[in-house]
Amino acid sequence: MPNTKRYLITGGIGFAVGTFFLWNYPNLALGSAIIGGLVIAALCLLYSAPLPDMVKGGLIAGLFGAVMTIVYGPDKPGVAIIAGMLSGLGAGLLAFQRKPQATPQAGAALGAGAGAIAGAWTALALFLTAFVIAPAAGVDASEFAEHLSETVILADAMGLASDILILLFVLVFCTITGALLGAAAGAARALPLRPNIPLLAVIALPVILIPLIDRAGNLLLLDALIPIYIFILLALGLNIVVGYAGLLDLGYAAFFAIGAYTTAMLSSPHLGINISFWLVIWVAAAVAAIAGLALGAPTLPLRGDYLAIVTLGFGEIVPILFRNLGGGPPTGTLTLRFFGLPIGIEQMDLTGGNKGINPISPPNLPLIGNFEPSNKIPWYYLLIIIMGLAIFFINRLRDSRQGRAWMAMREDELAADAMGINVVRTKLLAFSMGAMFSGFGGAFYGAFIGAIFPSSFDFSVSIILLCMVILGGLGNMAGVIVGGLLIQGADKMFIPKGAELFRDIADQRALTTGGSTVGVSALQDLTQQRLLLFGIVLVVMMLIRPEGLLPNERRKAELHSDDDPININSVAAEADADPSLAA
Amino acid sequence: MLQLQNVHTYYGNIHALKGISLEINQGEIVTLIGSNGAGKSTTLRTISGITPPRTGQVLFEGKPLNGVPAHKIVSQGISQSPEGRRIFANLTVRENLEMGAFTRNDKAEIASDMDRVFELFPRLKERVVQRGGTLSGGEQQMLAIGRALMSRPRLLLLDEPSMGLAPVLVDLIFEIIQNINSQGTTILVVEQNALMALGIAHRAYVLQTGAIVKAGDAATLREDEDVQKAYLGME
Repeated sequence: MPNTKRYLITGGIGFAVGTFFLWNYPNLALGSAIIGGLVIAALCLLYSAPLPDMVKGGLIAGLFGAVMTIVYGPDKPGVAIIAGMLSGLGAGLLAFQRKPQATPQAGAALGAGAGAIAGAWTALALFLTAFVIAPAAGVDASEFAEHLSETVILADAMGLASDILILLFVLVFCTITGALLGAAAGAARALPLRPNIPLLAVIALPVILIPLIDRAGNLLLLDALIPIYIFILLALGLNIVVGYAGLLDLGYAAFFAIGAYTTAMLSSPHLGINISFWLVIWVAAAVAAIAGLALGAPTLPLRGDYLAIVTLGFGEIVPILFRNLGGGPPTGTLTLRFFGLPIGIEQMDLTGGNKGINPISPPNLPLIGNFEPSNKIPWYYLLIIIMGLAIFFINRLRDSRQGRAWMAMREDELAADAMGINVVRTKLLAFSMGAMFSGFGGAFYGAFIGAIFPSSFDFSVSIILLCMVILGGLGNMAGVIVGGLLIQGADKMFIPKGAELFRDIADQRALTTGGSTVGVSALQDLTQQRLLLFGIVLVVMMLIRPEGLLPNERRKAELHSDDDPININSVAAEADADPSLAA
Repeated sequence: MLQLQNVHTYYGNIHALKGISLEINQGEIVTLIGSNGAGKSTTLRTISGITPPRTGQVLFEGKPLNGVPAHKIVSQGISQSPEGRRIFANLTVRENLEMGAFTRNDKAEIASDMDRVFELFPRLKERVVQRGGTLSGGEQQMLAIGRALMSRPRLLLLDEPSMGLAPVLVDLIFEIIQNINSQGTTILVVEQNALMALGIAHRAYVLQTGAIVKAGDAATLREDEDVQKAYLGME
């Protein structure tokens, strides 16, 4: 088997990393997840011999689990279960890649099998961590077990029996997850729909289940997830402008600000107007869309760099405008001269200046009442619904006449004109559609945070959104979502938690060895370095994979058009070198 | 069918067309010949609305086209295969052709028109899923003409269809142009290759620095001494 060596090396590195963390950091969930990743890789290897896909997926799932544990590990071992579930998801997905199932039953059976395997490895990993590695490392495992018991079901039944029960629970949980996902995928595949529907079903289920797991495990995951989703919604809108229509927009945060401020002004005690969120969100989207037209109209003759500069200016102007429309000295009269005639304008505090607008009324529903800041679950589901609709709508838009007009305009504006495409309308519509989605995002953001400030919409927001679109893959929604999860996840979850982890390690070093912490001080404050990290990621991405992680096929072709002859040559060279192909 | 009356077109301050008047009748192939910079392409761009005239009238089937934007002129029945072909390099052949039918909404008719294009250009049918940019120069020209036909024009404007093509392909393209014309489409073709253009056209106009210096029957112009000297390379 040609790949064995590679897997062994990967496994060895993973094991070394796991051991290192275990030694330095006496929290065992982390080690368990890393070991789990290795075990799933090995199991995938056994499941069917040369399947690089499965091994890759297993490693990714294991890594994901490990990252989740880094993020929420320290005092929340329920994460091991999420890691298990995600691994079950990975295993299920990979199993489907190999053997597509056309009925819910067969899907459930296959999913259950994959889930059971994933559950078995999670349980095995927990077991190994608690009973083998922890004692060997001289670490007390009882605290860990206690946490697990509290998290799961058996608060009072302590001891070995409960540990075994927990392991069984993990196994059962993963099996059920796998079966559910499998059934969903099988059922979806049985429908006469496009082939990516099963994948969507498999992704949608965990997204819908996360709040429940979050509550069960008390992970406070939603606090980070909701802002991440808001940014993904914005990036999806920006993708219309940049990815579909090919218009570089460096001031997209302006529309986000317009959406948020519209909501804040119309739905808070600040101006004494208090319209229901359900109405205001539409108003905010409409105002943002009109602002999109306002930006689009003067920039019509501009292309490329020049357009980017104008949008950059627009992005700077809007937050400053909102800052200057309020605050300052208490109301007075501003006198303007209009053709020599003095006109008194009563100065109003429209936007609260630097202090912003606070509070903003939350949405209200009959059974739920006001959405509370303390309970994130209604917010989460509301956002999921908004995003689901946005994704559906943008998807339809891309495949519509309008979408084709954007594509033609991006490829060649003059030729598009010659095809009878109204380039002016197409451009304006791209700006205003893109702006509309950030209007929705801004409205939700304002209501969710409950207060807005001009500084929340500065240039860095536009840049981070653009990074999300580019990292994920211009013009491809799945790519944009992945890019958003990675960058925003890094920003709001991984980097802060990673910084915490480094601090803990450093403190412990200092305690055990009595040494200084100087060497790690730079790493300790990783959050300070986040823009540096994004910058490095962007530079590397542009050099090695300018089309993004999950590129749109056509965009990829546009960026690699020079490579075509080389590829053809290399294929020819391969054919020459391989006698079986030549013959 | 199409009339230009004393048309003046400018690029900024540059006076590109200095009072062009010409006429194209239903069913004709008319060619504009002339050297580089004579204003041949500008004339086409003026008709298709990409660079509208500053003064003068363009009449299509009796209706003035002044002030009608380029994208609307396509749905009025004039379609252009632009200079340099300008096919969508990253779209497939089929998608390029579909783009040509952008102004239309009748799926069945579009499909039958696409079959017609494939009949005219069997090479395109073989390459239907290939990206436009990977086609050879001749195939790209075929695609550009095919794409222009997809809007079902009554008047087809061709800008330098022979540019950059091998002589064999030039013959083929001109044969197809005649073929399209015989199926009822009026054609205005701008060419550097005056000999070929005069060979297939019914009538011709000779342009020099933005003005028409000679006009008439293609066969007659071919025998004209000045034309032979200046554009046909004969002494």
